[in-house]
Amino acid sequence: MVLINLTGIQPTGFTLLAEGAQPKEGENVAVTVERLLAEDSVFFETAGGIGAVITTDTPYAELDAIADKLAFVVIEFPAFGDGRGFSLAVRLRKDFGFKGEIRAIGPVIPDQALFLLRAGFDTVDVTDERKAAFEAALSRFPGFYQSDFGGQTSIAHARHTAGHTIEGHREAS
Amino acid sequence: MYAYDTYDHAMVNARVAEFRDQVDRRMTGELTEEEFRPLRLMNGLYLQLHAYMLRVAIPYGTLSANQMRKLAHVARKYDKGYGHFTTRQNIQYNWPKLSETPDILQELADVEMHAIQTSGNCIRNVTTDQFAGAVADEVADPRPYAELIRQWSSFHPEFSFLPRKFKIAITGAAEDRAAVKWHDIGLVLKQNEVGEVGFEVLAGGGMGRTPVIAKSMRDFLPISDMLSYLEAMLRVYNEQGRRDNKYKARIKILIDAMGIDEYRRQVDAEWEKIRHVPIDVPDEEVARIKAFFAPPPLPVLADAATEVDELANANFIFKAWLANNTGAHKVPGHVHVTISLKPHGGIPGDATDEQMDLVAELADAYSQSEIRVSHEQNLILPHVAKSDLPALWTKLDQAGLGTPNAGLLTDIIACPGLDYCALANTRSIPIAQTITERFDDIKRLMDIGPLKIKISGGINSCGHHHAGHIGILGVDRRGEENYQLLLGGSGAEDASKAAILGPGFNEVGIVDAVEKVVAVYLGEREGDESFLSAYRRLGPDVFKEAVYGTD
Repeated sequence: MVLINLTGIQPTGFTLLAEGAQPKEGENVAVTVERLLAEDSVFFETAGGIGAVITTDTPYAELDAIADKLAFVVIEFPAFGDGRGFSLAVRLRKDFGFKGEIRAIGPVIPDQALFLLRAGFDTVDVTDERKAAFEAALSRFPGFYQSDFGGQTSIAHARHTAGHTIEGHREAS
Repeated sequence: MYAYDTYDHAMVNARVAEFRDQVDRRMTGELTEEEFRPLRLMNGLYLQLHAYMLRVAIPYGTLSANQMRKLAHVARKYDKGYGHFTTRQNIQYNWPKLSETPDILQELADVEMHAIQTSGNCIRNVTTDQFAGAVADEVADPRPYAELIRQWSSFHPEFSFLPRKFKIAITGAAEDRAAVKWHDIGLVLKQNEVGEVGFEVLAGGGMGRTPVIAKSMRDFLPISDMLSYLEAMLRVYNEQGRRDNKYKARIKILIDAMGIDEYRRQVDAEWEKIRHVPIDVPDEEVARIKAFFAPPPLPVLADAATEVDELANANFIFKAWLANNTGAHKVPGHVHVTISLKPHGGIPGDATDEQMDLVAELADAYSQSEIRVSHEQNLILPHVAKSDLPALWTKLDQAGLGTPNAGLLTDIIACPGLDYCALANTRSIPIAQTITERFDDIKRLMDIGPLKIKISGGINSCGHHHAGHIGILGVDRRGEENYQLLLGGSGAEDASKAAILGPGFNEVGIVDAVEKVVAVYLGEREGDESFLSAYRRLGPDVFKEAVYGTD
């Protein structure tokens, strides 16, 4: 597997915490939402950065109680067509003001690279042979009709902003 | 009409380049068919029974003469010389070669057309009233809002992988010609008590195997809230619509399960959070889009035209065509003209390259270079001076496009059926052909009056049989094609679901049954009562008796 960096964020290195295991002092760990909701304050104080691993069927409201304690979130797509992952990322950015890394894992396809970026994802874990296609897909469209969470303003705004052109109005990351 | 700027052009050109790359990867074997399938489906390319089928978007059914010429060119150069206009106001080509589809899309991009989101689980082509901007009975022209929705929904970062396809229709007129109540979301432009224009919002309509008529979400939504409210509706659906069973994945099933009140509550809660953030489309952009749909500069003309009367008195077919295929325009001395793609014995919705070229030429000469496609699979010239009608009709008639049957029994919606479609159970085109041959008498048709027959060759309901005054559904019965007869549906403002009358028929029996149903109506009608009104008054029993006998 190889990590595609969509936004230029510094990706988090972390350990997927096994069931029942405790984090080492200062260790970055990824944990299921169910466990995080049940954990006590000692857990949060011991670990370094804590990330939630959520599946696409996680109701976003469950994140409300823990969102401000999270350093990163991993959203697991069971299939590329399961678009709930996109709404989860949007909810994290929009409703919880989440600023940390959002990573996509699972069988997402290269042609979704820009959709992921625009919905608020920073990174995506892909198989080695798909790396080139993912990277190529990232530079394919110069603009879109929606403002997005990747820092690009919509064509609708660009049209009426002096100095804007079709090329390169995504903010440097 | 909307015209592309550099941004729109860059978007479709990027899409063509992306698709060309995907096709290349498929042709070299880098992508398997399984991997290629979702990619091609996102660009309107289906694999049908005999060949690939390419569905090209005609946004809200509006196109220019030049665009129609390009559609004719594509039919001639890349297909077998014809195309099929669909109930989503799009056009389908049935025989493109995979290797040539990128070239087709490039040619289309050159005239500001594309195949984006004509399939896949995303927001599909927004449909509207085919007479938008031409009729007097509309609150406002719905097309600027349809264009806003087109742009907002194109490559939407969050709503491109929905549980299932998503269809939005919008009308500006009291008379619903866009079947908005049969859509996932229906928008009806209206004025409130203080004269502001907004929308009634409906949700959860749909056909398929579970027909549902949309329910009202809001009686009045200000226009400036349109996109934020749509966003809230789509977000709740994207999160909670079923993904375990594609037959239960449409929004109608979600709304049925949670109830319209709970769905509305959740949408309103989300809408409250987003409606006050700066909107994504500034007022200048709305004004820019609206300006493209300014009424064409038609002169006010005399309402009577002697050349029209003279030809009508001499030629009954022209007289019938005037009565059935033309309608009042908001500018005096003009009409909108429906060009029937339903010649008796022909294939509903098909047009040859030569016919498309002719329609383009006639649009240039007589209709401000503008053409519409109706969801009933006809073509419309929206802005025609009455005095031009004799010349126009003569040219149409010579090309087989003068059939005077708009709105009558032979103006049939039919899906492509088993002649083309991989999802169909039965053929539907031959049923339409036999019915139109059986009723090939314009005087008889006009005596019968408005009667909508809609035929689907499968449970996907692409032929809208649930909304037919007479609906026909083809089913597979132990390997035999069997046709169910449904009565009493409506796709208009008085939307209703058609009900199955009784056991199905073979392909001859179904046509006999239609004839018996029509005979009952003619015998029972009171005054100028329409078929649908008579059915609603009489109920099914008298029809059942006539069709199945009393024993």
